[in-house]
Amino acid sequence: MEALATTVIGSAIGAGAAIVFAAMGELLAEHTGVMNIGLEGVMGMGAVIGIIAVNGYHTNAYVALLAAIVVGLILGVIYSTATVLIRANQVLCGLGLSFLGTGLSRVMGSSFAGSPASDRFMPVKIPLLGDIPIIGPALFNQNILVYAAYLILPPLITYVLYRTRHGLSIRAVGENPAAADACGIAVQRLRFLYTSLGSGFGAAGGAYLTLAYTPAWTESVVAGRGWIAIALVIFGDWKPLFVILGAVLFGGVTSLGFVSQARGWPIRSSWLAMFPYLATILLMLLPRLFRPRTRQQKLSGAPAALGKGYYREEG
Amino acid sequence: MTGSLSRVGAWRLQRRATSSQWARVIFTVIAVLLGLLVAGVVIQLTGHPAVVMARRAVQVTFGTSRGIEEAAVLATPLLLTGLGVALGLRMGLWNVGVEGQLFMGAWAATGVGLFVRGPEPLLLTMMFVAAALAGALWVLIPALARAQWNISEILTTLLLNFVAIYWVTYFTMGPWRDTVGAVLTATFKVPYTLPRLVGPLTIGILIAIFIAILLSFALRHTRWGYEISIIGGNRRAAEFAGMPVTRHILTTLLLSGGVAGIAGAIEIAGTMHRLSSTISNGYGYLGIVVCALGNASPVPMIVIAYLLASLLNAGIVLQTQGLSVNAMLAVNGLILIFAAVGEMASQYQIVRKEPEEISPVPSSHQEFPAASEGKARLRHGVDNPAPGEDRVPTDE
Repeated sequence: MEALATTVIGSAIGAGAAIVFAAMGELLAEHTGVMNIGLEGVMGMGAVIGIIAVNGYHTNAYVALLAAIVVGLILGVIYSTATVLIRANQVLCGLGLSFLGTGLSRVMGSSFAGSPASDRFMPVKIPLLGDIPIIGPALFNQNILVYAAYLILPPLITYVLYRTRHGLSIRAVGENPAAADACGIAVQRLRFLYTSLGSGFGAAGGAYLTLAYTPAWTESVVAGRGWIAIALVIFGDWKPLFVILGAVLFGGVTSLGFVSQARGWPIRSSWLAMFPYLATILLMLLPRLFRPRTRQQKLSGAPAALGKGYYREEG
Repeated sequence: MTGSLSRVGAWRLQRRATSSQWARVIFTVIAVLLGLLVAGVVIQLTGHPAVVMARRAVQVTFGTSRGIEEAAVLATPLLLTGLGVALGLRMGLWNVGVEGQLFMGAWAATGVGLFVRGPEPLLLTMMFVAAALAGALWVLIPALARAQWNISEILTTLLLNFVAIYWVTYFTMGPWRDTVGAVLTATFKVPYTLPRLVGPLTIGILIAIFIAILLSFALRHTRWGYEISIIGGNRRAAEFAGMPVTRHILTTLLLSGGVAGIAGAIEIAGTMHRLSSTISNGYGYLGIVVCALGNASPVPMIVIAYLLASLLNAGIVLQTQGLSVNAMLAVNGLILIFAAVGEMASQYQIVRKEPEEISPVPSSHQEFPAASEGKARLRHGVDNPAPGEDRVPTDE
């Protein structure tokens, strides 16, 4: 029984890590007011670059990860140029980016499909913590990317966003760009920077899938995780900690699917595959269902200027 | 006059008060061509002889009667899913779940076709009704979530796409699987087929065109159409005017899902005759492109759907020369990005530089093209409440 619990928890955390990367990136972008729904495509590209680097060019996993992040940054720059500079419709550009990334990654990955990554991130056990019964091996015997995703990234982002002046500027840009602009904050620059950066994180999440989680490339390696990451940002009310919670919950549902398959529980694989997406929808619905109506209108964590391009009116 | 100016030499770019329809069309065409051009360059760089391929593809799709017919067959689901997206977009809602609604419509049509017996016309009608209902039901929860709690319909509808595919997969691999007659994993053959027109083309295309014309009329000449475009433009104004916003959100999205479901029925009864997980080749997502390029206007979308289908067929021809469905997906994504940029570009015009004037008090909100006949419709999606909730204005 303990072994089962450990497996489920550990697997949940591992499954959620990819989403944490992507969601943290999306969180940053959305706090500046830019919605990047092309994350699915970016993750796909990150994943395929990762596998091409290790299997095609025989680099080590770290270099592959870096390459994936760079590609993610480039995609982010393209997206930001269209969305922040040109102020084109964010939903359209995002959808376009998701199609582009998904399609292109599949084309590039077709010759690498199925073969495992020749170099991957292996689990690293943390000495004392890893020995705690049940949760020890689950939480502290993961690969380094998982530690980065859960232990480094969220606290860092929380600190920067809520405890530094720079973070205040970021949030101000998302809430009221005109007021921020009047205070001398470089609205466009911050939006551009953090949207691109967010895309880079997304690509890291994709690379995690092919370099650590699966670790191989298939056409369906991303399987909608980019979209789920965006949904979880909403579920988490734009606060890093809750987003992590959502990611772990999602990971848990996913891992339950695998565990039940492995143990031969009598549920068809198709049904199990549905659960993560249904669960995510449920997660999106739950916070609203439990909040009384008037309260929810005033206290949403959504950046007020989310989704709108910013124009400095000069008359 | 209006705001945002920036210098370009002795000229400058100025936002128009209303976006010009012609500029829009021109920029859309440029966008598509640019997307194809970039794709062509990339294809050339990867070693395929792009020009030769392109020429051959064009020759087959436009030059042969078979090519034209097959393009029309393909245009049908594209048009219908595009109409589904367009209905939502008129209200500033993004129903990107048309892919899943198509799947569910196909599933329902298959279910009726496999298990109900009767005269063909009756059964075909039942299949269509079932498909429309299934598609509408599939969007019901996202619609309710959006209408009641302002939960982002982009994500809810999109996530249900994945669920729909698994749902269909279950039936095609399980209870309805035809292990004897089908080559690939698919259900038993549905015995009712739509009347044929010519070659592979059935009356499905006529049904789609009819629906497009019907919707165009309804959107322009009925109260419902008027009200939903007001809601799309400014929800608060519509609410103050007493329009039943919540009800319209629901009915419009349900209708949108129903139309997409019908696309699934046509695929079953007209083209594929068996349900499989490849009943759709991303038609729902391509419908989004059709809608975007057509600025959510039903009748122009007929033409655009056909052109896009021709493009895809050219791609399938190219498939035999080494390119794939996924490459077309990528190209479509590129086109979408260019189209979005182009749409933005169409809102600017070049004016000669004038002496500086003292500006009025700057506002933080961009000016809207005033109630133009929905020409800047696509931008409404941008300025509706984000996937969060309505913010109660705090300082205005």
